[in-house]
Amino acid sequence: MPTRLVHWLIAGLVVFSWWSATHDHLSWHRLSGYLVLGLLIFRVIWGVAGSETARFSHFLRGPRAVLAYARSGAQGGIGHNPLGGWSIVAMLAMLIVQVGLGLFSVDEDGLEAGPLSKFVDFDTGRAIAHLHHLGFTVLLGLIALHLLAVAAYALRGRHLTVPMITGRATLSPDAPALRFAGPWRVVVAAAVAAGVAWFVARGLRL
Amino acid sequence: MLRNRRRAMLGGALAAMAGAVALTAGATGVDALKDRQVHMKAFGAAAKALGEQFRSGAPDKAVVKLQADRVLVAARAMHGWFPRGSGKEAGVKTQALPTIWTDPAAFAVAQNRMVAAAAALDAAADTGDMAAVGAQMRNVGEACKGCHEKFRERDKS
Repeated sequence: MPTRLVHWLIAGLVVFSWWSATHDHLSWHRLSGYLVLGLLIFRVIWGVAGSETARFSHFLRGPRAVLAYARSGAQGGIGHNPLGGWSIVAMLAMLIVQVGLGLFSVDEDGLEAGPLSKFVDFDTGRAIAHLHHLGFTVLLGLIALHLLAVAAYALRGRHLTVPMITGRATLSPDAPALRFAGPWRVVVAAAVAAGVAWFVARGLRL
Repeated sequence: MLRNRRRAMLGGALAAMAGAVALTAGATGVDALKDRQVHMKAFGAAAKALGEQFRSGAPDKAVVKLQADRVLVAARAMHGWFPRGSGKEAGVKTQALPTIWTDPAAFAVAQNRMVAAAAALDAAADTGDMAAVGAQMRNVGEACKGCHEKFRERDKS
């Protein structure tokens, strides 16, 4: 449930970030970035200490397993398959890079800038802003791959969007029971994520 | 103590910059183009420094005044940064659009808007009323944007 919520919030906020940036609503754009930052921190914590299928250790496999999966044409079991797992990490990493670049970005007039831009000079901030722009293109490429993969599974009869929304998937009877993290874990992880994001958004000031 | 010394050093740099602005006013062609880019970056740096004061939550009035001065010096000197021949024809990459020279009346209006905004910003900084400075900063930002939209090529990336 937390993983699904984070997924859809990030998806929505990526769209909103794009829209607010192209329509000169930089305060909204910054706010959107802070929210994404918080969600990313949460997702990373959840990837280490969250529910079973959300953990990186559950879905990150070595190159041999990835190749074997890709060759087998199997549809995977519960959670991310070996190939999909790496696509998740690629998107998360690119989102982290993208938010990171945004924090240091400076716009052409120098007035609009990310909260950490005070640590770089104007020229560096401008260069980072260009990278931030470029980073969005890379992100779009990864998202396109992600959507194509989901569409490809749907064509082969496996609809991944439904369980991603409802949280329910029909599993084979012999599937192992999943372990879900308790609510207190969600609260702690969310509080840590929100706190760190808030601290960064304020330019590393308490 | 250290802050004061840094402020004094910044003041020295400002005086040197004002001198540089005056010295290069007579440059032409490529030189004028390159000088302009240096000046615009310094302008941007001053705006950035102002923005930082406000983002810090507790703007330092002395720093705000110093940067407002920098903005005003730059705004007033700007008329001299665009001599004929310092556009794309100079052969160096520039985002300055030909409309600067084909529609000089409109360009002068845009530049005067900046001079007025910068003067109001500096006057507000003199009073030390940070809310007023904040409002004037938005005005300066609008003046930057207004001119860039019409007379500056959009960033490609």
